[in-house]
Amino acid sequence: MKRREIITGAAMFAAASALAGCAKITNALNENDAIKSVLHAAEPLNHAVIGTRGEAKLYPDSAIDREFRVNGFDTPSDSAYAALRRDGFASYKLVVEGLVDRPQAFTLAQLRALGSLTQTTRHDCVEGWSAIGKWSGVRLSSVLALAAPQTRARYVIFHCLDRSSDGDPYYESLDMHQAAHPQALLALDLNERPLDADHGAPVRLRVPTQLGYKSAKWVGRIEVADSFKNVGSGKGGYWEDQGYDWYAGI
Amino acid sequence: MDAVAGAERMPSAVSQTREPLVYRHSLTVRVTHWVFALAFFVLVMSGLQIFNASPNLDASDKSDPARRVLSIGAQQLPDGKTAGVTTIFGHAFTTTHVLGYTSDGMSGEAERAFPGWITWPGYQDLAGGRRWHLFFAWIMILCGTAYFIGGITRKDVGLIVLRPSDVPKLLPMQLYYLRLRREPPPHGKYNPLQKAAYTSVLFVFAPLMVISGLALSPGVDAIAHPLTTLLGGRQFARLWHFVATVALVGFFGIHITLVLSTGVFNNLRSMVTGEYRLGAHDGNGV
Repeated sequence: MKRREIITGAAMFAAASALAGCAKITNALNENDAIKSVLHAAEPLNHAVIGTRGEAKLYPDSAIDREFRVNGFDTPSDSAYAALRRDGFASYKLVVEGLVDRPQAFTLAQLRALGSLTQTTRHDCVEGWSAIGKWSGVRLSSVLALAAPQTRARYVIFHCLDRSSDGDPYYESLDMHQAAHPQALLALDLNERPLDADHGAPVRLRVPTQLGYKSAKWVGRIEVADSFKNVGSGKGGYWEDQGYDWYAGI
Repeated sequence: MDAVAGAERMPSAVSQTREPLVYRHSLTVRVTHWVFALAFFVLVMSGLQIFNASPNLDASDKSDPARRVLSIGAQQLPDGKTAGVTTIFGHAFTTTHVLGYTSDGMSGEAERAFPGWITWPGYQDLAGGRRWHLFFAWIMILCGTAYFIGGITRKDVGLIVLRPSDVPKLLPMQLYYLRLRREPPPHGKYNPLQKAAYTSVLFVFAPLMVISGLALSPGVDAIAHPLTTLLGGRQFARLWHFVATVALVGFFGIHITLVLSTGVFNNLRSMVTGEYRLGAHDGNGV
């Protein structure tokens, strides 16, 4: 009996040490830059194989979440946004510039005048939850077409009005193919009402074929560019700079 | 994948002449086995890391608390402490220190579903978990493809498939394992229980794992809505992905138990050099 107790005790001690060591090992491997760059090989593979081919499923009104869960940051807290909000976004202008022949600045009324597209689609958050909302707004491709992107253009970068708690501005990017997708939407309304502040008022991007972090809220300026290397930390988006994949179709 | 050997040799089988060494596992099977083993570890652990970012499983398309099957969360107690609470089909269990409020993968405890020692990485890092998971998912796909191509070109993949004629032999084989029966039922390279286990893993749970994983991708969903619909929706696909994980982890436990209890040296050798010393009750072994 004694011997059994010693063996059991030793085994439990070994198991406990192994378990404690496990996290240390996986943490260290996770932070290794060489390993990180090897693991990133999956991203271009996913982009090539899955890409942006089909169209996200459209849902009936009965599927809509009336209380649409807020993803990402809460309402921007800076005075500039507060001022915009106070006058009902009357002084808001959506700027489209960069590698375009005809830079634009749209008021909300001008955006609404471009025609309205409504789509009820599912928002899949990278965290794992999903919610369904009825989004109305202007097709991104229509807005870009008015600005006439140049042939050198490769990316559309969305500069947003919010910042992280560290003060880093939120931004996102799509390539020209993704930006031309018929469901890529500059949403002005959610569930038939103008977007509220937490959901990205006055304009948010909706990219239903990719994870939620692509659907940037509080879009203030759209830049057409040949690279996103010089924006933020150069990975193509705020969450991409935190280590998430630029291709968010998976 | 096929290291579970047949049976222990009966004392009477220990004689002057040893049983022959047979070449049991091809190089493809041996290499894919060990790559599988590594990838499985990383995928399960990084999968739990990803689960932790949204520790609910709903039998529905979108997230829906009314159709919640599993939820792992934390609750503030009146004394200021935090309890881990796991809720399965509406029944709540206190799981403090194990699930819900548990190891944060560094040096303390925190509100998180699975503990740090079973997630990859240990601390909460969804981006990191996804990086490992999506890379090793590819390794698993390539490895599975190599395994099946090897089996088809060798024309022996069929040996592992459970057939109707094996079904009556399942119970006698289980009785033999439990030492309630002297001899196993007659069988070929794999005994009926091995066939049942491997068939369910290779042809049910592995495919379920792949399609439920793909159904989670909004990009794949946009190409193939029927796939997601077939599984009951996106959140349901997440539930299936978890169910398949539980099944494969269960298989892994049985697999290791049998590898250890049916001649660990012989079993390991067969998965390294391919050579296996036949036991008296092993069928034809090849």
